[in-house]
Amino acid sequence: MIREFGINEVWFIVAAVRWTLLLSIIAFIGGIAGGLVIALARTSEIKSLRVAAMAFIQVFQGTPLLMQLFLVFFGAPLLGWDLNPWVAAAIALMLNASAFLGEIWRGCIQAIPRGQWEAAEALGLHYKSRMRFVVLPQAFKIALPPTVGFLVQLIKGTSLAAIIGFVELTRAGQIINNATFEPFMVFGLVAAIYFVLCWPLSLLAARMERRYAAALAR
Amino acid sequence: MAISFSRRSFARMIAAAGVAAAVTLPLSVSAQSVADITKKGELVVGMLVDFPPYGILNTSNEPDGYDADVARLLAKDLGVKLKLVPVAGPNRIPFLLTNKVDMLIASLATTPERAKQVDFSEAYAGASIVLYAPKDKAIKAPADLKGVSVAVTRASTQDLAVTAIAPEGTQIRRFDDDATATQALLSGQVDAIGASTLVVAQIAKIGGKDKYETKFLLRQQYHGIALRPGQTELLARVNKFVADNKANGELNKLHQKWLGVDLPNLKQP
Repeated sequence: MIREFGINEVWFIVAAVRWTLLLSIIAFIGGIAGGLVIALARTSEIKSLRVAAMAFIQVFQGTPLLMQLFLVFFGAPLLGWDLNPWVAAAIALMLNASAFLGEIWRGCIQAIPRGQWEAAEALGLHYKSRMRFVVLPQAFKIALPPTVGFLVQLIKGTSLAAIIGFVELTRAGQIINNATFEPFMVFGLVAAIYFVLCWPLSLLAARMERRYAAALAR
Repeated sequence: MAISFSRRSFARMIAAAGVAAAVTLPLSVSAQSVADITKKGELVVGMLVDFPPYGILNTSNEPDGYDADVARLLAKDLGVKLKLVPVAGPNRIPFLLTNKVDMLIASLATTPERAKQVDFSEAYAGASIVLYAPKDKAIKAPADLKGVSVAVTRASTQDLAVTAIAPEGTQIRRFDDDATATQALLSGQVDAIGASTLVVAQIAKIGGKDKYETKFLLRQQYHGIALRPGQTELLARVNKFVADNKANGELNKLHQKWLGVDLPNLKQP
């Protein structure tokens, strides 16, 4: 019942990339939006916001993503909602990414010298303008390397969505491995595809960093 | 892959926790009757796709295998369409208990622990789990496993069987699936493997018939169709389906097609 590892099998693995890509994009967008909210809450002057953000970060950083995916998808029916796998994956990935990105960006925001904040206040800028025109643009440059590092990890982390039924790249590899018993070919191909997905992201980040450094050079 | 494995080893705990929660919390389970399924017009069946020849993805990448054919026969019997949902070892019971599938035809072996969470039908297939090791390893009985490393698929019946009989000092290595456990044996990272006779036949083909041999039988197990508890009418109907198709030889025909041998005697002790 074991079959040869041929072009059909290669195609099955390559075709599974679209689910990995889709899940990654959903996680990025949700994580970036949520992460910004969390980072701003974490650095706000209102104590209750800081505490709430802190609690959120601790919960979602401190528990495994696998468990979060599982609980969102299988736990929702126990509370009466029937979530389809995409919504469940989007929610879990977004919450997880928000916690990590929020913490990363909190560090980057706090790395901006206090003088910048004070000068912005002295110029009469409101909170929104302060963040938008003074603090966040400077924090962006500092944030690029750790953010890209995390996003690359996130692409690989989407493999955990297999627990709620997605046949994404890693799971496709496991299925083909069990059908052909050719682990080196199968997982070698899977690793190569992940590399092809992640490398452009690192290249893009390096390019952005160079342009930013040029912009800020005196 | 090392990081991935340690995160995945949570899946077993989580699956157990999830099912425990599912049983203790008030379930919004919809108890189904035969009429519910006929009205719906569709039978949603969960099955494995990484367990040849019971559950595979065929060359057109659709779920296929012995379990799939049994599901197709059952759907025809009930007069409804069939929807096959691929599930995996750690999430198949949660899929069933959270109403995401109507039943499981996923090579689920009947064990007393599982019977507490799901209702099993009459057996529709069976498998023998054996201990398989190189010929030059002298292992005649469970007691000889002391100091031996054994590969199993985690949370499977092989895992349960080896854990139950292995003496202190046996190193049980749990892998994600049969293929990786097999690879561990073939590359010499473990001394022995607990696996079904079908996997063993595959190892013999890849690794050489003369290198390995079956040491002893670990467990004779029976696969049942799993349903949510409390659905007496549906369970009776499924049992009738299994009994009828055993009697008229249809199940045997499918078994011959996929496994190449007759349906074994499935009388459970």
